[in-house]
Amino acid sequence: MMSSIAHLALFDGVAELFRAMDAASPRAHTSVLLLGIFGPLAFALALAISGKLEDRAVKIAGFLGFLLPALSGLWLWIAYLSLGVEGGYAFLINASTGLDFLGVSLFLGLNGISLPLYVMSGIVGLAAGIYAIQSGVERLRLYIILHLIMLGGLMGLFASIDLFFFFFFHEFALIPTFLLIAIWGRQGRRAVALELTIYLTLGAMLTLAGLIALAVLSGAGSFNLIALRVALMETGWQNAVYGLLLIGMGILVSLFPFHSWAPRGYATAPAPTAMLHAGVLKKFGLYGLIQIAVPLLPEGAMAWNPLLLWLALGNILIIGLITLAQRDLKLMLGNASVMHMGYAFLGIFAFSAAGIGGAVLMMVAHGLSVALLFLLADSIETRCGTTDMRDLGGLGNQAPVLMAFFVAAIMASIGLPGFANFWGELAIFTALWASASPWVIAPTVAGIVISAIYGLRAVARIFFGESATEFRGGDLRGAEKAAALILLLSLFFVGFWPRSMSDSIDAAVADSFPPAATFAPVAALDD
Amino acid sequence: MTLTPVGLEHYLFVACLLFSIGVFGVLLRSNTLIILMCLELMLSASIVALIAFSRFNAIEGSLMMGGNLFVLFIIAIAAAEVAIGLAIIVALWRRQQTLDATEITSLKH
Amino acid sequence: MPSTEELQALVAANTWSALLPEILLGVLALALLAVDAFAPRRQPQTLLAAMVGQAAILAWLLFAVFTAEAGEARVYFAGSVVQTALSDWMRIFFVTCSLFTTHLALVYLRNREYPRVEYIHVSLVVTASFMLLVQSGNFLLFFVALETLTIGFYVLVAFARTSRFSLEAGLKYLVMGGFSSGILLFGIALLYGVAGNPLLPATAVDPLNFIELGAFIGAVGIDGANAAHPLVIAGSLLVLTGVLFKVGAVPFQIWVPDVYQGAPTPTTAALAVASKAGGFFVLFILLSGPFLALESLLFPVLAGVTAVTLVFGNIAPLGQQNVKRIMGLSGVAHAGVLLLGMLAAYQVPWAFHAVLFYLLVYAIASFAVFEVMAHLAPDEDADQDISHYRGLLKRHPLLGSALVIGLGSLAGIPPLAGFIAKVLIFVAAFQAGLYTLLAVAILGVVISIYYYFGWMRAAVLRELVDDGESGREPLRVTIPTKVILVALALITVVGGIFQAGLTKLVGLS
Repeated sequence: MMSSIAHLALFDGVAELFRAMDAASPRAHTSVLLLGIFGPLAFALALAISGKLEDRAVKIAGFLGFLLPALSGLWLWIAYLSLGVEGGYAFLINASTGLDFLGVSLFLGLNGISLPLYVMSGIVGLAAGIYAIQSGVERLRLYIILHLIMLGGLMGLFASIDLFFFFFFHEFALIPTFLLIAIWGRQGRRAVALELTIYLTLGAMLTLAGLIALAVLSGAGSFNLIALRVALMETGWQNAVYGLLLIGMGILVSLFPFHSWAPRGYATAPAPTAMLHAGVLKKFGLYGLIQIAVPLLPEGAMAWNPLLLWLALGNILIIGLITLAQRDLKLMLGNASVMHMGYAFLGIFAFSAAGIGGAVLMMVAHGLSVALLFLLADSIETRCGTTDMRDLGGLGNQAPVLMAFFVAAIMASIGLPGFANFWGELAIFTALWASASPWVIAPTVAGIVISAIYGLRAVARIFFGESATEFRGGDLRGAEKAAALILLLSLFFVGFWPRSMSDSIDAAVADSFPPAATFAPVAALDD
Repeated sequence: MTLTPVGLEHYLFVACLLFSIGVFGVLLRSNTLIILMCLELMLSASIVALIAFSRFNAIEGSLMMGGNLFVLFIIAIAAAEVAIGLAIIVALWRRQQTLDATEITSLKH
Repeated sequence: MPSTEELQALVAANTWSALLPEILLGVLALALLAVDAFAPRRQPQTLLAAMVGQAAILAWLLFAVFTAEAGEARVYFAGSVVQTALSDWMRIFFVTCSLFTTHLALVYLRNREYPRVEYIHVSLVVTASFMLLVQSGNFLLFFVALETLTIGFYVLVAFARTSRFSLEAGLKYLVMGGFSSGILLFGIALLYGVAGNPLLPATAVDPLNFIELGAFIGAVGIDGANAAHPLVIAGSLLVLTGVLFKVGAVPFQIWVPDVYQGAPTPTTAALAVASKAGGFFVLFILLSGPFLALESLLFPVLAGVTAVTLVFGNIAPLGQQNVKRIMGLSGVAHAGVLLLGMLAAYQVPWAFHAVLFYLLVYAIASFAVFEVMAHLAPDEDADQDISHYRGLLKRHPLLGSALVIGLGSLAGIPPLAGFIAKVLIFVAAFQAGLYTLLAVAILGVVISIYYYFGWMRAAVLRELVDDGESGREPLRVTIPTKVILVALALITVVGGIFQAGLTKLVGLS
């Protein structure tokens, strides 16, 4: 399958180079992986312990810290395709931290499922970082440090093969979120931060219990995902453990009805935090289900699937209708991001390679588009002083670039062809069609109509008509434009060349779902 | 009329009685001095039990001196405890002019 | 009567050198008093000597441990003293705690009119007793060591003799401590009596000895197992009650909040760390030694205690504003997690090492928090309110970050060492199949985030309120304090990411 990429003559030369590097030193690409995870953390530490620094120096150091994961992601993406690993794990490194007696070690690497998310995380991180640096908030240094820690945790999360460190990195990213909301959030931040903390800690603890159960009860005596794939658990335990993981991770992904923390949390959080959390960190739960829970506990997954279907439909329809009723742009986006998680859950429900693969692609696309939307919503707020759509209006004349970006982002989130989201949703629909309950497509399509309604209405309200607020600051500035452009270009890139990601996803997913249908629809439509 | 010789069970009865008086005294009385005395009663109960066990469990070749030895230590410990306890009570009396435990309640958040 | 040869052999077994560290601590304690009596002007040097002396003993113990060959338990004094690798580790732990307590005491006594050398003196005696306690091989040494340190604590709790809070706490601790000692002793007496009964199978020649008592309880005769004898059951339950009092497990925790609040901060720290660690180690000695055969009786009892301890310990601190009470009540929650580890140790061999790891991490984080508390305490030490911590991170970044890291580790937030400690206990509990208790413990962690966050939030977020309160003068933080705080915070952070050093220390690997 990888050979299909090789027909690009330009890529051929690059691939040769990356293969040569790997041949010269097997650690070459692994060190890039380590750089992507520990680079931002090292910059955060350096910023924390260095004494007085000029503003410029803080900003440059912060930028470098945010840049490293994105570069690492792109580098590893190319390397992964060049090496032809066919969805399997690459760039492995296994280091002991002193918990070997439990079967826990710092085991890092990427496979076809985690690589796209790792790349997406780096890109969103860079955009969020650029936006954070230009935001000019108080205590900028702490702001940057916390975002860097968050980003380091996110990169580590997707690169962890060890369940313990998978959870560990997640918490690493989660804790700064609480602080960021509590310190820099909008009004009512303290209550929101506390609610978020308690709710997400509960989800995290349930997840932790589930992961420990997974490792202990499987009898593999190890937290290592590769070793765990071999050991299958008894059916009774599978149901219980999958239930724990589904609810725990469901809380973290804002699965209906455990979603109530999300819209207010995102609306209150500072923009870069919302970008990183809604765009990347929230995918932890879905990623955990796809990478860990479903392949390791297939019987448990089957048992819980009927319930999951209704919850996912709750996400799409109930939250969809709630989204329609929102008057505040940020609350609307928060709700919309909860709603779109329903599609990914439906992909898991379909229980086929196409559905799961579509869910992964959807996660990547959603991460990019929701980050872009939060970025733009915040730049609207800084210009108009409000995100209440009843007061906004007529921005199209004053900020045409902002409007262009916003319209494109809304189009992407609705799932128009040409954007990455399209391929994710399409694959999920085809998987649902092939599944045992094809009727599910009907309410799902209704969901798309709902998102089109609120998306286009938001565009109409904000950019056309009369404004009730004072507009300050002109169109998007350079840094804002750069951050938005990074996200938009990535959306286009994946939208026009989905196989750059879907091939490896397909290979990895086919690995875990041998009996299921292939990921053919996307591949066919691409050609 | 024959007198039953005093046996282990009698000693143990006394020990249990002393222990119960001590426990309930600590729990129910409010005068700190009496509480202190009841604490000592609890220790005395153990002393009686230990000595009785030492005496009645001893057989030829096994003298069971451990209990007797233990008692010496307990007496010393009890003395130390009383000394500290009285010191604290005197200091409290100087500050608050009361020995009533129900009135010594300044420690509530 | 034993022959002369036998007595000589007994005397030869009295290897005093095995207890040299404890003896030296005692000598140091006495020497401090003597020097201070004759040269009161030289007090700074005397106090410095106290620190150096403890550090030297610590260094010696460390050297002895690292050069010792692994092997059997070393038994001295006819079975009174049993030294194992674990007890050696605990001795090091207690001397280290003593060093921190001494430093805290010096900070605490800096602006107060109480005698200094005397505090250190009692604290050293208490430390030596702790070290003897964890090596005790029979109930005689066990009880004497336990009482010596408890009586020492009476003094330390009531040390602020002009503060009614301190005196009241001292009285309460005396009553509750004496009460629990009385119960414990009566249990010992019962066990002594029943194990020495010549009519029962496997009568112990020396019933106070842990090994002989364990053999007796484990024996089965014609009339049934000794473990089912009513006196054995009553005695062991009474002993257990006494020990659970010391660790502050529910329902024996009533003394905890008041005593923690009223006691001077260094005493509170010693109670929270050394006393709890000692209690749990003693519990381990008892459960794995003499009471091993009583598992079917004690396991359900302990499981019930664990459950209520976890629930109470996590709910009670909610809404508390006094930080010393929060430390005390949340300490109850930690006792619950540790009890969970003790229960797991019945099934999982490495679980007790996980308990030791937890104790170590808990100690490090607690001392960091107590160091900060000692610096922020107002003149009346019992009135330490969360509001005093407002804007601490801005006011003094080092104290603020040390506090946040310490509290974060206590709450079990990754990537701090406290998280690893909790996970280890949880994994052990999982392997032991204690699912219900585990669920309670995990819910407890979620609740505990709430009250720890309240405190942290005050330090991180709330801006300094200029209301002219006392204690708003610049904080005096000396260089040694800075070094200690940085070291404690660093171990907590690094231990969360790279555990090899800490796990090796407690014998996990």
